[in-house]
Amino acid sequence: MLPLLKKSRGLLLPLLLVLAWEYASRQDAAGAYAFVPLSAIGTALLEMLGNGELLVNLLASLARTSSGLVLGILFGVTLGVMMALSSVANRLIGPLFHSIRQVPMLGWIPLIAMWFGNGEFSKVLIVSLAAFYPMVLNTYQGFSHVERRYREVGQVLVLTPVQQFTQVLLPAALPSIATGVLHALAFAWVTAIGSELFLSSGAGLGNLMMNAEAGSRMEVIVLSVLCIGLLGYLMTLLFTRLSRHLLRWRNLR
Amino acid sequence: MNAIAHPAHVHTGALQIRGLNKAYQIEGRDLPVLQNIQLDVRPGEFVSIVGASGCGKSTLLRLIVGLEAEYNGDILLDGQRIAATSLERGIVFQDHRLFPWMTVSQNIALALKNHKLPQAEKDRLVAEHIALVNLAGFENAYPHQLSGGMAQRAAIARALINKPKVLLLDEPLGALDALTRVHLQRELQRIWVQQRCTVIMVTHDIEEALYLGDRVIVMDAHPGRIKHEIRVELPHPRDRASPKLQGYKEQLLEELVGH
Repeated sequence: MLPLLKKSRGLLLPLLLVLAWEYASRQDAAGAYAFVPLSAIGTALLEMLGNGELLVNLLASLARTSSGLVLGILFGVTLGVMMALSSVANRLIGPLFHSIRQVPMLGWIPLIAMWFGNGEFSKVLIVSLAAFYPMVLNTYQGFSHVERRYREVGQVLVLTPVQQFTQVLLPAALPSIATGVLHALAFAWVTAIGSELFLSSGAGLGNLMMNAEAGSRMEVIVLSVLCIGLLGYLMTLLFTRLSRHLLRWRNLR
Repeated sequence: MNAIAHPAHVHTGALQIRGLNKAYQIEGRDLPVLQNIQLDVRPGEFVSIVGASGCGKSTLLRLIVGLEAEYNGDILLDGQRIAATSLERGIVFQDHRLFPWMTVSQNIALALKNHKLPQAEKDRLVAEHIALVNLAGFENAYPHQLSGGMAQRAAIARALINKPKVLLLDEPLGALDALTRVHLQRELQRIWVQQRCTVIMVTHDIEEALYLGDRVIVMDAHPGRIKHEIRVELPHPRDRASPKLQGYKEQLLEELVGH
């Protein structure tokens, strides 16, 4: 009994919130509009699960996030490695990168919309940019802080440059890269929803919310918000598990 | 090239150091670290180097292993001038420097990475060297799961697996507790008697230097230079309590502290 309580204590606060929500919804008509009753949200959930609307939009957002994330990670790691291993590349690209990175993600949306329209390409581009920044920064950090004593071991064992990279530099930078992916994941998810709100074409949880707002269906908006939060949490949890396994060699005592 | 195919015989691994000078650039000025070092090491000899900190003994080892390529004078291994690292020379540092992301056997196997041996032969060599340093059962442990002494054993196996002509030991037992140190000194003695490669060991511990070394080189600091040497005329393996060793110890202490 006690271990079960301990395990589920993370649920305590959400449960209290739900109770407060339900209480607020029962106060008066204004309350019932702002805080739709749980029963209405439940009905909406069943309805949208039934006609597949929720699943379609959810998968669209997830697909967008994953493709943007993969692109952002690939380009981000590549650029981060280049900047860390070549001082020429660092001096050439560094200033441009650090000034561009000051522009908030949402600030890019008008420009990208003008250039590439409001279709899928623009949205994935925005998501990949959001993932790109933390990947570059953390990869650079990881690769430029590989301890000299480890690089010297590679030298003593006469490793080739490729072996030095795969056996020494990359594993040493991996914890930092994992931190980057964790940040990138969060940014990508948030930005995917944001891009859907701004570039309202096609499917996605953001579009679902926009349409619900137009039809003043509060329960759908709330449902979308819940889905966004829950999915983001699950993705983070999954990746944390994965990286803990990959980095099991670390001494966390 | 392939040191494994031709196991180190006692007739290779002769080290000659001739007029070695090394300086570091500090704020545009030359700071001499080593001055006119002359040293001949016979194949299969065990040479200990002791001296105050700052006498450049670690720099000397880094030069011999090839981590520092710039120096004046000559460092010759079997007549060849040393200019870079090579699998003919192995080193064990004070910190074990095992890669934390690899298991014990992966760390040791990495040293064989560029040998064109069949995988089965490599596996056999790794197992053999793990047994040599008494680490059987810990093949799949990560370095953070090992004690300091065990990690240093693994580092010794990694340095030995290429059958180097010269093994360099840079205060290899300096970070260990006294009991483990005495134990590993005996182990080093056993391994060296078995392998008979040329060994140069830097240490702070006078007893350790005398117990293991055929010769003990005393270095002086600022700039680093060779001040004195003692031949330890005792057969291996040695008895730590031997009165002769005590005599040498007093002689060495006199040299290091007294005048």
